[in-house]
Amino acid sequence: MSSNKIDRRDFLRVLGISGAAATLAGCGNTSIESGAELVESYVQPEDFVVPGVGVYYASTCTQCGSGCGIMGRVREGRILKLEGNPKSAISGGKICGLGQAGVQMHYNPDRLTKPMLREGDGLKVVSWDKAMGVLNARLGSKSTLSGQQIAFLTGEISGHQKVLLANFLESFGSTNHVVYDALSPVVGHGANKAVYGVEQPVLQIDKARLILSFGNDFLGTGPSPVRMAAQYARFRKAPRGTLIQIEPRMTLTGANADRWYAIRPGTEGVLALGLAHSLLQHPEFAHSIPQELAAALKPYDKETVAEITGINADAIPHMASLLWEKSPSLVISGPSAEGHVHGFSNATAIHLLNLILDNRGKTLQGQANHPFPQLSPAFGSYTALAQLNQAMSAGKCEALLIMGCNPAFTAPTFVPFANNMGKVPFKVAFTTQLDETSRQCDLVLPILSPLEDFGTHVAGYQPAGVELMIQQPLMEKLYPETRGIGDILIDLLKQRKPDAYKAFPDYYAYLKTAVVKAKPVFKVKESDDDFWEDALRNGVLRLDLPPAPIDARVAAIKVSAPQATEMGMQYPFYFVPSVKADLRDGRHANLPWLQESPDPMTSVAWDSWVEIHPTTATQMQIREGDILEVQSATGSVRAKAYLFPGIQPDTVSMPVGQGHTGYGRYADGIGANPFKILDPNFDEQTGELAMYSTRVIIKKTGENAKMIKDEGPTTLQQGRKLVVTMAADQAELAKEITRVTQ
Amino acid sequence: MIQSTDEKDIEIERRFVPKAKDINDEIAWAQINKDVLRSMERPRLMYWVIFLASLALFGFGVYCEIYQYQNGLGVADLENPQVWGLYIATFIFWIGMSHSGTLLSAILHIMHADWRKPIYRFAEAMTTFSLMTAGLFVLVHLGRVWEFYYVVAYPNERWAWPNFNSPLVWDATAIGTYLTSSIVFLYFGMIPDLAICRDNAKGVRKKFYWLLSLGWQGTDRQWANFRVAYLTVACFLIPLAVSVHSIVATDFAVSQQPGWHITSFPPYFVAGALYSGCAAIITLFIVLRYVFRFEEYMTMPILDKTCRLTFAIAMVWTYLNLVEYASVWYGDDPVAKQTLLFRATGDYAAYWWAMNFLGSVVPFALAFKSLRNNIPVMLVVSLLLNLGMWLERFMIVTPTFAHGFYPWTWTDHWMPSWVQWGIVAGSFGWFSMLFMLFCKIFPTVSMYEVKEMVYHRFVARKARA
Amino acid sequence: MSLSNLIKNWSSLRVKRPYEGQYKDKDYKWAMVIDLDACTGCNACTTACYAENNLPVVGKEAFSKGQAMHWIRIERYWGEGDALPKFPERGAQFLPMLCQQCESAPCEVVCPVGATHHTPDGLNSQVYNRCIGSRYCSANCPYKVRYFNWWQYPERAWPNPLEQQLNPDVTVRSKGVMEKCTFCVQRLVEAKNRARTEGRKVEDGEVTTACAQACPTSAITFGNLADSKSQVAKMWERQQIDLAKDKQEKSDENMRGYRIFEDLRTYPSIVYMERIRDLQA
Ligand code: SF4
Ligand code: SF4
Ligand code: SF4
Repeated sequence: MSSNKIDRRDFLRVLGISGAAATLAGCGNTSIESGAELVESYVQPEDFVVPGVGVYYASTCTQCGSGCGIMGRVREGRILKLEGNPKSAISGGKICGLGQAGVQMHYNPDRLTKPMLREGDGLKVVSWDKAMGVLNARLGSKSTLSGQQIAFLTGEISGHQKVLLANFLESFGSTNHVVYDALSPVVGHGANKAVYGVEQPVLQIDKARLILSFGNDFLGTGPSPVRMAAQYARFRKAPRGTLIQIEPRMTLTGANADRWYAIRPGTEGVLALGLAHSLLQHPEFAHSIPQELAAALKPYDKETVAEITGINADAIPHMASLLWEKSPSLVISGPSAEGHVHGFSNATAIHLLNLILDNRGKTLQGQANHPFPQLSPAFGSYTALAQLNQAMSAGKCEALLIMGCNPAFTAPTFVPFANNMGKVPFKVAFTTQLDETSRQCDLVLPILSPLEDFGTHVAGYQPAGVELMIQQPLMEKLYPETRGIGDILIDLLKQRKPDAYKAFPDYYAYLKTAVVKAKPVFKVKESDDDFWEDALRNGVLRLDLPPAPIDARVAAIKVSAPQATEMGMQYPFYFVPSVKADLRDGRHANLPWLQESPDPMTSVAWDSWVEIHPTTATQMQIREGDILEVQSATGSVRAKAYLFPGIQPDTVSMPVGQGHTGYGRYADGIGANPFKILDPNFDEQTGELAMYSTRVIIKKTGENAKMIKDEGPTTLQQGRKLVVTMAADQAELAKEITRVTQ
Repeated sequence: MIQSTDEKDIEIERRFVPKAKDINDEIAWAQINKDVLRSMERPRLMYWVIFLASLALFGFGVYCEIYQYQNGLGVADLENPQVWGLYIATFIFWIGMSHSGTLLSAILHIMHADWRKPIYRFAEAMTTFSLMTAGLFVLVHLGRVWEFYYVVAYPNERWAWPNFNSPLVWDATAIGTYLTSSIVFLYFGMIPDLAICRDNAKGVRKKFYWLLSLGWQGTDRQWANFRVAYLTVACFLIPLAVSVHSIVATDFAVSQQPGWHITSFPPYFVAGALYSGCAAIITLFIVLRYVFRFEEYMTMPILDKTCRLTFAIAMVWTYLNLVEYASVWYGDDPVAKQTLLFRATGDYAAYWWAMNFLGSVVPFALAFKSLRNNIPVMLVVSLLLNLGMWLERFMIVTPTFAHGFYPWTWTDHWMPSWVQWGIVAGSFGWFSMLFMLFCKIFPTVSMYEVKEMVYHRFVARKARA
Repeated sequence: MSLSNLIKNWSSLRVKRPYEGQYKDKDYKWAMVIDLDACTGCNACTTACYAENNLPVVGKEAFSKGQAMHWIRIERYWGEGDALPKFPERGAQFLPMLCQQCESAPCEVVCPVGATHHTPDGLNSQVYNRCIGSRYCSANCPYKVRYFNWWQYPERAWPNPLEQQLNPDVTVRSKGVMEKCTFCVQRLVEAKNRARTEGRKVEDGEVTTACAQACPTSAITFGNLADSKSQVAKMWERQQIDLAKDKQEKSDENMRGYRIFEDLRTYPSIVYMERIRDLQA
């Protein structure tokens, strides 16, 4: 390290530690070589494998962005099963089904095992030397690309991978790291930022006595489902909180609500304003917001709101009085409220209720300010992809690197990403398995699975303090010809910036140095090696920081005239895409456990379906299993009808994530892809794709097929007393013994 | 030409033979031997048609079974909880078929009902073969046939016994015993006839019959011993036959499932068994009479008596069936009631109504003499009755799985796959193939007993005169 | 000699179970409590069970035929009676259903070969080697939680290298045998062995099932009912449920515990806690 010529600032940036942390981090001596050995020997049988005994190693789940700490059970050098890591507050020792299936991503029979290079129309297996040769020729030291000419497209990404990636782009003078997420949280974040001054406040679910959720599926697909489920369990213990869910299509969270309301899609903001109007009748809240805002709420009397939203007029003052009675409460908005042209205003209107009810600091808090903001995730957005798409179609993009997202599958029809890829001369994918996007690339590099690789992660949602999650290999790599993305980037960076990176023989050395650099932040008195060892052992580096305060920016809340939603004659139905907690945007459709895990609401597996309300179905003479064509102005898809009572009668819903055509044996040919019928509607404020605002028409095709589902012909208990329900005022939870609150 | 003589005979019979006359007492004993032995000689075309059709069906069944064996029972479209399907339903059906042979033979023998004599032999053969067929279904149905012997109680070094609490073990034991005794009974009854065969055969056949007839010479002492032994086995068989189907009924009655947990099941099953067995006897009676020209022996009065017996049993069955419905309907188990309603109105309602119609209404055809004496009508009716009885078994097994205790696992219009149908069809092929083979190897009409019968009639007529 | 053994132990074949104090002097009786108010229906337990117990993924075709192998399944009901409400205003009714490890198990009596039988620690065990696949147990299980290997799954469910994930502590079942939830018996055996070598009993919380371990809301509690100090034993007691009694004698109407199909006198080892809904909302 003494031969290091770059200055300290640069060095810290290389390691992703600057800003707040830079002042804390001293430049110590690091021993890289010891680590280089460790990366080889860590999972070698001689030392760590006791035949017949399962040993647990800590790591981090990368199946979604929550960053749960996990423990892998390793036996005879094989990773067998993942459990939650109790040392991490995010997972609290628990794990979701999606997380469990991480092992199947690792052992997937369709994994890419060797580099592939385009030859004419197809991809051919080549050696790593050849592949790296091609890569270096294009993006190595001689490359003259700069700025917009090179783009790195990824899904949500955090930690040192993100830093390396940015550094790599920077070596081209580019900041063109495009982060795309088909299920982007950007509208919600924008509204949060506008009202609370922070993108993602911490929801203290267990502290609330009443939760009013506008389509927020925090138990299924929220920012941290495992953590929030644990909080939810405590919320349900004495004194038991009440959950009210308002959404057009019942989500998993809605299914757990004490009261569920079906609302006309897009009118959530109106209902929120109606509730605000109702609350303000009460003297306690009369002065909680400025006069002019209160005046603007005038038109939102319960009859008008009921008319627009389709919710019973009496329910509105009833909900308002519950909000008033059960304090502190928590009002949250979710994707089905935010995914509209006026989604941003919907969300701010919903947040207004928190301000009126003064939930700030009680059930809503800011995330702790943490010392390594560079490691925080970059959230994906639709707009980023649209811009990239435009640049590509204009021929401005010369080299495109893709990792961790699949726009060819998830991008809507009006973003012809797949076509425009043809206009990019050099496309590289880093992936563990070929998907629709990587099949169109010129060079596909097989990377290590998350269970074989090192890494760090910082979750976007930090529920308590801050956790720097450590990911470490749980077993030796399965395929000799796969490489970690970190190692590939380091190799490239060594070409681009030999001086800055020559000190790091490999990614492991880099990562260890970087993590050890952060030691002062954690205020531990250990040697660097011990610190690193502890970090690996615990799988998490925790900082117990207090929650930050959040603002109340009432001015951000816009109240416009009530939007009456017209029933389009041509497209009479609202179309609500639903997200299955384990398939998400479809990136996990290749995992057999998840395909076979029935959807909690419908019990359908291995398929797509169209949810339609039984009364609507009766009117249209649709039976279960009838194959319907769902047609929007943009396109159409076909799927079987499923009669579903948990949906607003003017709405139909389809799950996203199925309909793959090039994603391996478990995903291909299953169901249909509703991303392709989304209409080009955008949120006025953020320009994000308004995913829940598509209108469709339903056509019967006359065909019928058997529904692939777990439930039988009845969805009722038939008086069998299987699930018994008790009224909340009868239960005496305080007298019970339970594991939940321990 | 022969046809016309037949018709004339029947004509004569109708006009002059008194009511109780089951058989023409003027047939010479040598004629009896000749007629019966003739049936064992070179087959007629009709025989070949039936035999080859059976063989083809059986072959298809074997193909289905091999397919199922190799791939697993999944090919049968069985599922959780529809775990049994046609195999168990058809198993009960065949067990049922096996009952009437014994009834006709043993009970009527003890009761000295002479008219059984020309037909009991084939009825007993039917018993044996349908038991063997039923046994096949036990094997076909097992997930791991190759371990079937675990069910048998045999002393072994691992101290692993079957579970004596399980009705299936009772089943295996009872069926095994019944099969052995039935074979013994059939064989005992055949010994004097085998001796006749021996005396009339040449070459290998002679050797074969010589071996089987155990040195029968027809001495007085042999006859005396024979009668005692035969009566003993007959007495032994009667409780056994009743117990076998009662035990099969406990397979269901012992369980807790709605539609199965019914006290009246054992007698109900026994009645159903006798019913289907009698119906099968009528069918085979007509077939044999035609194929082997047994008009002289399998006469219309005997058919008439068999039909009347069948009608009586049908009424007993109908009564027990109604008892079952009534006890469920007036009992206070809502689940069982729901399952009963499901049978009458649900996915399988058509089968249920068909079964009740075929089982309880169609037998009234047997109440009319004119219909009883109409052979084609009786052939159709007897086949319909057996279809009804098969449906009964299907309706016991399937709806309880489709609509049992647990609503989540109810099934929707579950139907067996072609493999199951193939194996069921194959079982019919196997049965009739065995039966046809039997007819060519063994005398299907008991020569010595028919002679007895003729003799008794003759003596009686003489006495009357 | 096996005959004499049979005769000697004949009476044990005919033991009536359960009886008062059956597990008093025993070390273990495994039992469970599932809180339906905490269960969110998320399916994490199901996937955990697939991972732990080598459950085969049957695929689209077989799944649609009802041949799925989920030892624990999440059922979702929309109502109690037989009429569908217009909207499920009180949410869905989720029920994790797994083998109830009945003390007086209807499946055990009917198995012709004794492949499913009761272990000394109160488990309803399934001996794959002994199973001949008559499926009588499944026919007689009121909860319908037994799953049959309709196909030769070892050949089709784990294409290379998926088979490397298989848990070596758990048998991979071949075609023609019955299987069902075992309460993760391999974990129990391991814990018991460990405790035995250390000369003690398994402590409360030392071992748990895969489903209970994964459950994000801790809705599933697993433990040793024979140990009166264990969490499960305390919960059972508080819920006024006695393993040896076919009827819960509930004096406190506010307690939520119940056993499913108590009337059938199966004496299940799993207590469910009623789901709660705030009907004022
Ligand atoms: S919530 Fe996300 S990070 Fe946590 S276990 Fe599930 S998939 Fe993994
Ligand atoms: S739940 Fe079913 S399988 Fe389990 S012990 Fe009870 S009867 Fe047997
Ligand atoms: S106890 Fe074990 S075997 Fe049973 S359902 Fe849970 S995880 Fe599966």
